Amino acid sequence: MIHLSNKRKWIPYLLIIPSFSLICIFKLYPIFTTLVESFIVDSQFTFSVFSELFKDDAFWNSLGVTLKLNVVMIPLQIIISFGMALLVNSAVKVIGVFRTIFYLPVTISLTVACLLWNMMLNPNSGVINSLLGIFNIPMQGFFTDKNQALWCIIIVATWKGVGYWMMFLLAGLKNIDAEIYESAKIDGAGWLKTTFQITLPLIKKVLLFVFIANTTSNLLLFIPMQVITGGGPQGSTNVLMYEAYKSAFKYGDRARSSAIVTILLILIVAACAVQALMLREKEKS
Amino acid sequence: MKKKMLALMLAGTMMVALIAGCGSKSDADNDTASETEKGQENQASDSDKPFAGQSITFTDTGAGDWEEYIKPIIAKFEEETGATVTMELYAHTDYLEMLDVKLGAGSSDYDVIGVDVPLVASYASKDFITPVDEYFSDDEKAIFTESALTAGSWDGEFYSPAMNSSSQLLWYNTALLKEAGVEVPESDTENRLTWEQVEGIAKEALAVVDADGNKGISGIAFEQVSRTYQMNMLPNSMGGANIGDDGFTVDGIINSEEWINACTWYQNLYSNGISLKGLTADDTGDIFKAGKIVFMVAGTWTAEALEKEGMSDYDYAPVPAFEGYEDKVGTPTGSWHFGIPKNSENKELAAEFIKYMSIGEGNTLWLETHGDVPSTTTGVENILKSDTAEKYMKIAAYEAANTAVPRALTPGYNEYDSVIESTWDDIKNGADVKESLDGAVKQLESLLSKLK
Repeated sequence: MIHLSNKRKWIPYLLIIPSFSLICIFKLYPIFTTLVESFIVDSQFTFSVFSELFKDDAFWNSLGVTLKLNVVMIPLQIIISFGMALLVNSAVKVIGVFRTIFYLPVTISLTVACLLWNMMLNPNSGVINSLLGIFNIPMQGFFTDKNQALWCIIIVATWKGVGYWMMFLLAGLKNIDAEIYESAKIDGAGWLKTTFQITLPLIKKVLLFVFIANTTSNLLLFIPMQVITGGGPQGSTNVLMYEAYKSAFKYGDRARSSAIVTILLILIVAACAVQALMLREKEKS
Repeated sequence: MKKKMLALMLAGTMMVALIAGCGSKSDADNDTASETEKGQENQASDSDKPFAGQSITFTDTGAGDWEEYIKPIIAKFEEETGATVTMELYAHTDYLEMLDVKLGAGSSDYDVIGVDVPLVASYASKDFITPVDEYFSDDEKAIFTESALTAGSWDGEFYSPAMNSSSQLLWYNTALLKEAGVEVPESDTENRLTWEQVEGIAKEALAVVDADGNKGISGIAFEQVSRTYQMNMLPNSMGGANIGDDGFTVDGIINSEEWINACTWYQNLYSNGISLKGLTADDTGDIFKAGKIVFMVAGTWTAEALEKEGMSDYDYAPVPAFEGYEDKVGTPTGSWHFGIPKNSENKELAAEFIKYMSIGEGNTLWLETHGDVPSTTTGVENILKSDTAEKYMKIAAYEAANTAVPRALTPGYNEYDSVIESTWDDIKNGADVKESLDGAVKQLESLLSKLK
């Protein structure tokens, strides 16, 4: 640890001022103004925006869709990216090629990915329906079917994101001493026992970061809804973030939009708090 | 040492680039300044011209497309009046948002703005634009077609003169119909085809050209699928209105029998396989050009687009009527209008420019070069009487004057448009028609009530 003399103790603070200023300007200030806009109407503190919002069926539908999307997507992405990290952690020749392939979707912009998947899942001319036709499976609606659209978005977002989370988990796996696995092997531990009783506990901190970051980005997921479905069909993909966007930019109702974003913020904080609690390091007795 | 040198060189190169960039901007500023001085000298000598030495700023959409048409028109106006008109065009995707921000902030940057016609009521009720009744006499207002005048007015005041209008026709692929051995009967605006007829012809054609549905050919398509501008023509063609006269009432209007019947007919096109679900407003035109659509309802711009692609296997007819509603045909209409922002510093010159561009020589030049449908009765008559005008322009001019139904006149058009568009989309995708329309009513009542 570097100990600085009294004369130089201000140096670290000076160095973090630029990034901290940017965080204040582009993160904290917008959060503050959002809270103000959702509670202050005509210069008066009021809960009217929220009470109007809670009477709106569209809001409750959006909340339901958001929760449904994330309850499935978050664990799905974590499990897949953890599995991929375990696979690419093996000491096999040309494993780097597979790491690159798994990471490639991350390098494509989400907007472009949505456009590509929309073309592939087009009910008339999409390649997926053509492939299904070979096996005599009837043409599917995909993004035009209210029962399938949300799952299609989950597939697109998962395909796009798992490579990114895989890299963090891989970094965590790389930090585990190989001798621990050797000892476990000697003690007769199988793959399953090793993974759940050694690997997972040792990458808890990394897992916590991935859970929190993944939860935040998935709760704020917006681009597939804007580019592909427009919140439809029949509101089946109308998540809170899209409802907030419509309120602000289509309806000009900034107060309503701010109220929705405030609720999203509460959801994110709550979800992250629960995850942090579940994944906290137990105190040594 | 080497690294230090490289770092210094990089820093130096960046500094030079920065200074060069600022320097060229200054040069541009100097050039502009010198041009302005010259302009002022010239204008001082033209002091007999009514607006000599005065200037206004005009902004509109159409960046990358309209410049070549509007610049010469503005040059003529400047020559006649001695005024200077600075033009700023934006891409459509940016224009409305930019305008919303600037007008909302009370900016005085612009004297004349392009107004998307369905937003006239919204801009008027938000006090973004000023009425122009004092600048347009009753005779001058009478030059506009009724739909254009109505669309440019709100709450009894005239706010927004029209630049041009638009209309739609039924375009069809003659090669596909020939292959199917099917003919489209002759029709005109007095004796139209019916939608039921067109549906039957499309079904017959598909049974031959795409019997198993593998070729992805659509029997009937609407170019701007699900968009309010395009789709509301169906209930309008059964006598249905777009919104109540007060600009807020939707119950009993968009869930009326006319709307339910029209939407059910539309939904049946998809459930019966005549229309394909995967088409979007962005690609339907291209898919028609690719020869994959039998009938397409689209605007007059289709002819030029098809000629450009070298597609000649097409013909057109007036928009069909529903059986039993032959006298109720409703066609989409409206395009871009002009407005004077409330904080404009030269409203008189702005109004003069707008007159020139909407009912004056400027409008004639614009229509001649850009090929849009006129929004003036004289313009419509000229096309109808012309020996040289294309037949599709004559049909369009007739529709604009006789069957055009303006879009919903409401301060909450953005809200209306958003809800109606998603409702059309849901209906297309198989949602219960009555439930969807009742749901749209509930949503709109909630959204529009905040604007009353």
